[in-house]
Amino acid sequence: MKKLFTMLMIGFVLLLTACNSSGKGSAETASSGASQGKQVVTFWHSMSGAGQETLKQIVEDYNHSQDKVQVNAEFQGTYDEALTKFHSVAGTKSAPTIMQVFEIGTKSMINSGHIVPIQTFIDAENYDISGLEKNIINYYTVDDKLYSMPFNSSTPVMYYNKDAFKKAGLDPEKPPQTFEEIEKASKAITKSNKGMKGFALQAYGWLVEELIANQGALLMNNDNGRSDTPTKVGFSKEEGKAIFEWVKRMNDDGTFANYGTNEDNMMAGFLAGDVSMFLQSSANARDVIDNAPFEVGVGFLPHPQNKERHGVVIGGASLWMIDGKPKAEQQAAWDFMKYLQTPEVQAKWHVGTGYFAINPAAYDEQIVKEAYGKMPQLQVTVNQLQSTKSSYATQGAIMDMIPEGRKIFETALETVYNGGNVDKAYDEAVKQFNAAIKQANAARGK
Amino acid sequence: MSMSSLAIQTNEINLEYVEQVKKRQRMKNLLKGVLFLLPSIILFSAFVFYPMIRTIYLSFFLTNTSGVTTVFVGLENYINLFKSPIFLKNIQSTFLFVLYTVPATVIISLFLAIIASEKLKGIGFFRTIFSSTMGISVAAASVFWMFLFNPTMGLLNQLLKSIGVEPIGWLTDPNWALLSVSVTTIWMNIGFTFLVLLGGLQSINSYLYESADIEGAGYFYKLRRITIPMLSPTLFFAITVSIINAFQTFGQIDILTQGGPQNETNLIVYSIYREAFVNYQFGSASAQAVVLFIMILFLTAIQFKLGERKVHYQ
Repeated sequence: MKKLFTMLMIGFVLLLTACNSSGKGSAETASSGASQGKQVVTFWHSMSGAGQETLKQIVEDYNHSQDKVQVNAEFQGTYDEALTKFHSVAGTKSAPTIMQVFEIGTKSMINSGHIVPIQTFIDAENYDISGLEKNIINYYTVDDKLYSMPFNSSTPVMYYNKDAFKKAGLDPEKPPQTFEEIEKASKAITKSNKGMKGFALQAYGWLVEELIANQGALLMNNDNGRSDTPTKVGFSKEEGKAIFEWVKRMNDDGTFANYGTNEDNMMAGFLAGDVSMFLQSSANARDVIDNAPFEVGVGFLPHPQNKERHGVVIGGASLWMIDGKPKAEQQAAWDFMKYLQTPEVQAKWHVGTGYFAINPAAYDEQIVKEAYGKMPQLQVTVNQLQSTKSSYATQGAIMDMIPEGRKIFETALETVYNGGNVDKAYDEAVKQFNAAIKQANAARGK
Repeated sequence: MSMSSLAIQTNEINLEYVEQVKKRQRMKNLLKGVLFLLPSIILFSAFVFYPMIRTIYLSFFLTNTSGVTTVFVGLENYINLFKSPIFLKNIQSTFLFVLYTVPATVIISLFLAIIASEKLKGIGFFRTIFSSTMGISVAAASVFWMFLFNPTMGLLNQLLKSIGVEPIGWLTDPNWALLSVSVTTIWMNIGFTFLVLLGGLQSINSYLYESADIEGAGYFYKLRRITIPMLSPTLFFAITVSIINAFQTFGQIDILTQGGPQNETNLIVYSIYREAFVNYQFGSASAQAVVLFIMILFLTAIQFKLGERKVHYQ
């Protein structure tokens, strides 16, 4: 008994010291930078894989390029995980100086009250942002204020297997543009390529949002939440159901490949020749093109035949300035953000990952031209963005319950994939979506 | 007369004094006891009691994204939960999951433990193999199974293809997903349960078997009349822990299905996680947590009431 007690006490003491030492550890790393007379900026990000490699390189280049600021980039898990961490440390000393947040976290960051709008810094020194990509700036502008600095932006595109198109007697240089054309192409491909399905749509709420925007429809009312807080969905039954019915028709034809919500499985299926077309973020362009044993084509996001193409909403993430930090630290962070906007850095970023260059001047850089020579597909993603019509629909919705809304769409899509009734699935999804909006508004005390 | 009354008085004073000493003694004992309990009281308060009270408190509120309470809504979170078809489905899935995993885990582990408790040459090797899944983390095991379930390159679908059966969407077909996750879980839990049951088997006194041998009892008779009754405390423990574990399953869901397809595998703990850390609705997440707590408490209480009668303690 006595032994057990001593063990317990030792464990307890160890626990205490462990807590202590970890606190000390972070303090030490923070002071080591300052001791060299450099202003330390902490940068939380969620880039993994190729993105992380490229970002690391960029941060290192920046740290070597001058001797006043030391940027420490720290990986904090996926966007969701990082945002959760941020919300729990916001307002304390452990909060970062710069925080990378995914686009649908915009509203939740504004509501958190722990951020400084980037507009403040732009106004303070009349910094010129007219050179930045208008469509991207639009998304992060709320009430005429640019809240966060765009950084990694992407849009959905359609990837397709050119070899399979040739085999089916389709023109590999002319990817199908509309829902109906995709159905037709899928039939031809399924017939002429053994064991290959025509089309895959990952059950992913973001893609539903994009397919709605491409029809020029709003996701939520009050101009997608841009003029006032949304109170319900903004698309009509026809526009919303068009997507579900399209998938349903292909599913009935037996030309649709169901990978559920799993992106990796869908990519693996595409690379293994199990499916010939799929929609996914342009940020995957490098990965898909590099890994496919066949020629990969990239096309625009499809739209229903009876609707004009309106274009895409920007996805990805932006950088937020966190409040409650010393002026000098924020100024240093601002300097780093400005560095990220330069054409040279953006060119590196675009080519290294497939994300857009938020500064279009980057497209004239030599490394981009060279990359386009080798991978003309990268250019399609840029063309799609630049041909987007500016409107509330393509500016994208801004609301804090979007992550929840995505899950609702995903469930509805899966129901249709598995043979469920379209009307029922759609109505149920809209009902839940509206309820989620109401709940989110109630939680804000409105 | 006066003498005797005096004596009574002193007696009373004495009694009072004794009472006092006793009280002080009890106080001292109590303090000593508390002192010994102090480390666990501190740890439990910090990591169990405080979060629990906080959860109950939060469940009556709506919150902002940092979990700060904004609007008091009383029981509305609970009412919404029980009106939500998704939450009711989550409860149903959770119970189904418990039903799929717990009996299978215990029966398979019991079988393995019984054959592994035979004293044979090289049995140590098999004991190690059977308990090996205990050393594999949930994440590693889930990723491993995810490869098996992969629709394109997964071993399971390759096998089906080779015998000419249509491949199955193990994790995407709503009819299969919960079963697939259950199989994964059973596989993962066998290691621990096996080890516990093997330990129980080894501690059964061998004289019982020797006496039975003298009586000429057969193998299955011994199994039924000696092994199972003597193992019942361990079995009871294994079942209780397995049930609680099954109710709290999270890792394999997060990695394998994320609650999909169609919320088929959206077990309560995963649903709590999504509600709190994806939707930032800490209020209704807390309400779900409280419901789960009450469910587990209730089930464990029933188990103790019903199960314990059948348990034979030595």
